[in-house]
Amino acid sequence: MNKPRILVVEDETDIRRFLRLALEREDMTVFEAGDALQARIDAASRQPDLIVLDLGLPDDDGKAVIRDVRGWSSAPIIVLSARESEAEKVAALESGADDYLVKPFGVPELVARVRAQLRRASLAGARGQASAIVRFGDIEVNLATHEVARGSEAVHLTPIEFRLLATLVRGQGKVLTHRQLLIDVWGPGHASRSHYVRVYMANLRQKLEEQPARPRHLVTELQVGYRLAGIVESS
Amino acid sequence: MIPYPAHIPSRPFQYRVLVYAVAACAFTTGIAALLLRVFDLSNVVMVFLLTVMLVALRWGRAAGALAAVVAVASFDFFFVPPVWSFHVSDTQYLFTFLLMLVVALITGQLAARLRAEAVGAAAGERRANALATVATDLSVAVQDEDIARICDTRIGPLLDGKVTLLLPGRDERMPSSGHGDTGIAQWVLEEGLPAGRGTETLPANSATYLPLTTPLRTRGVLMLERGAAQPLDAEQLGLLRAFQSLLALAIERVHFVEVAHETQLHVEGERLRNALLSAVSHDMRTPLTAIRGMAGMLGESEVAQAIVNQADRMQRQVTNLLDAVRLQSEGVRLDLQWHALDELVGSALAATPLGARQVVVDIPAELPLVELDATLFEHVLVNLFDNATKYTPGDATLYIRAGHTGSKLRLRVEDDGPGFPPGIDIQALFAEFARGTRESAVPGVGLGLSLSRRIVEAHGGSISASRREPHGACFDILLATGEPPAVDLEDPA
Repeated sequence: MNKPRILVVEDETDIRRFLRLALEREDMTVFEAGDALQARIDAASRQPDLIVLDLGLPDDDGKAVIRDVRGWSSAPIIVLSARESEAEKVAALESGADDYLVKPFGVPELVARVRAQLRRASLAGARGQASAIVRFGDIEVNLATHEVARGSEAVHLTPIEFRLLATLVRGQGKVLTHRQLLIDVWGPGHASRSHYVRVYMANLRQKLEEQPARPRHLVTELQVGYRLAGIVESS
Repeated sequence: MIPYPAHIPSRPFQYRVLVYAVAACAFTTGIAALLLRVFDLSNVVMVFLLTVMLVALRWGRAAGALAAVVAVASFDFFFVPPVWSFHVSDTQYLFTFLLMLVVALITGQLAARLRAEAVGAAAGERRANALATVATDLSVAVQDEDIARICDTRIGPLLDGKVTLLLPGRDERMPSSGHGDTGIAQWVLEEGLPAGRGTETLPANSATYLPLTTPLRTRGVLMLERGAAQPLDAEQLGLLRAFQSLLALAIERVHFVEVAHETQLHVEGERLRNALLSAVSHDMRTPLTAIRGMAGMLGESEVAQAIVNQADRMQRQVTNLLDAVRLQSEGVRLDLQWHALDELVGSALAATPLGARQVVVDIPAELPLVELDATLFEHVLVNLFDNATKYTPGDATLYIRAGHTGSKLRLRVEDDGPGFPPGIDIQALFAEFARGTRESAVPGVGLGLSLSRRIVEAHGGSISASRREPHGACFDILLATGEPPAVDLEDPA
């Protein structure tokens, strides 16, 4: 398998350097860009498999770069955000980013996120359509028959609970914002009722998580949205 | 609507105009006598008609009518044969008299009406001019002082008195050091009704107090002092009413100009503060990210791990400091949304490195949603969990319990560590920069708990600490549950 090609867009030299070192150690090819202009050029010419992008670039808004790249590329984009504002992260995700990391972050965290996104992209590229049966932890979800099982026991989900779970499963570990979930599960009329998602996520956790307050799979990205972690690749 | 005496005193009739009318007829008779030497009698009639018209034009309707009668009588007495007598020899003249009387009356009345209209138009023009002048002056007034000066110098003379503007302070009270009777002014302001001389309320007072009312509210009081002057005439009353509206609008405009200005200043201040905060935040996190990242590259060594831990700690201090600055600045806006408490606890647990410590979470699934600012509240929980890890050994257990009774929601964070040192005032821990022991080896400046208290109190809740038996520390957070928004229930399928 070819080395994954990663484009790192970050204006701080030291952070860029450590990102490069960390990713090269994981046997990846890294290209560096220091501003939005260079990022656009490299994204087109280097054809990266994944882009790590700092939102606070000196010459342009990071979200504008995301929108431009999304116009012609489906390579996963992981956003680096030093900003306090959750709205900023939500806006980046809704512009087309796939995940985000809040500064400061650790190397293991970075590598895990990058690997997860690369795996997600290769799965989507290889089969086009994900398999009907998805597993995470001891949970098995059959997207075709709407059956959910925990261990050997069947779990009963209401239609909305299942739609919510299925949306998260299809997201393949991508962070889905409240708005995206509301539109997918309830329809565009409910886009601003984020407490709906909270109530139904709480129900899902009660049914699927061992410790609902310390979820391992139905992960809360506070003020941003939710993500399904730990999906096992079906053989 | 300006309730003010509606009776309009009519101009008193002046009897001397009748004397003038008779005098004018006498003068005309003299002229006619002279003219008669040259002209025919029928021409002289015209001179009388002219006189009647002029009298009516100059002195009004009644004078004109009297002049008409007197003119006909004079003509008969002095000129129609037999002269010096009201007798008439030629009956032709009776017809002349009748015709002359009718023509004189009609032209007289027409002329009088013409005059009345001219007078009215002139008064209207004067009023319009006065209003226009005052309105122009008011339109460029940018402060209450400008309006007060216009009242004093422009409006006062127009109403033959002294006009003073009384404005309430910010507390909606009339300043007691001001002019006039503060009590009456306050009453007028609150009731929006006139008082004082010439009104139904306290008419014995020497001054009249009029409310300056806009559609929204009464913004001030106009005090009118006229001493022994005549009551206001119709024209002045009309003017006064117009001035009341104009002044009220001007005061309201000045008020809103001030409000807009203050809002702008506030917005500017907030924008500057936010820009500063995000710049500081960025400038502190960038080196932290680099340090933490580089340390991560050093592998699993103890030194590298220590650097990572310290960088994390520093990061939390930066977060606390930024929160503190944000909360300290006036008018902090909480981003209130309805959240599930277990979600916040889970998120805060995930954000705190707890080491090998056990965590027992007991949050009932049926706990209602609670309205809070998730980012800030998560910081409270992270501070509590971080404290627990700082002050307990690595094998301690953390208990997180929640429940609700009535309108209160209680969250309790306990540990079974050594607890607070004996003899210290536990509640004083929440004071700024307080710590359990001075110069302790455990890092931190004691910002965490005071900040947590401020955040919880900003949510209308309370936080307290207590000792846990047999050993350990216990923190309780009480929040109001409020009225969670409805969620449409679906039919279980």
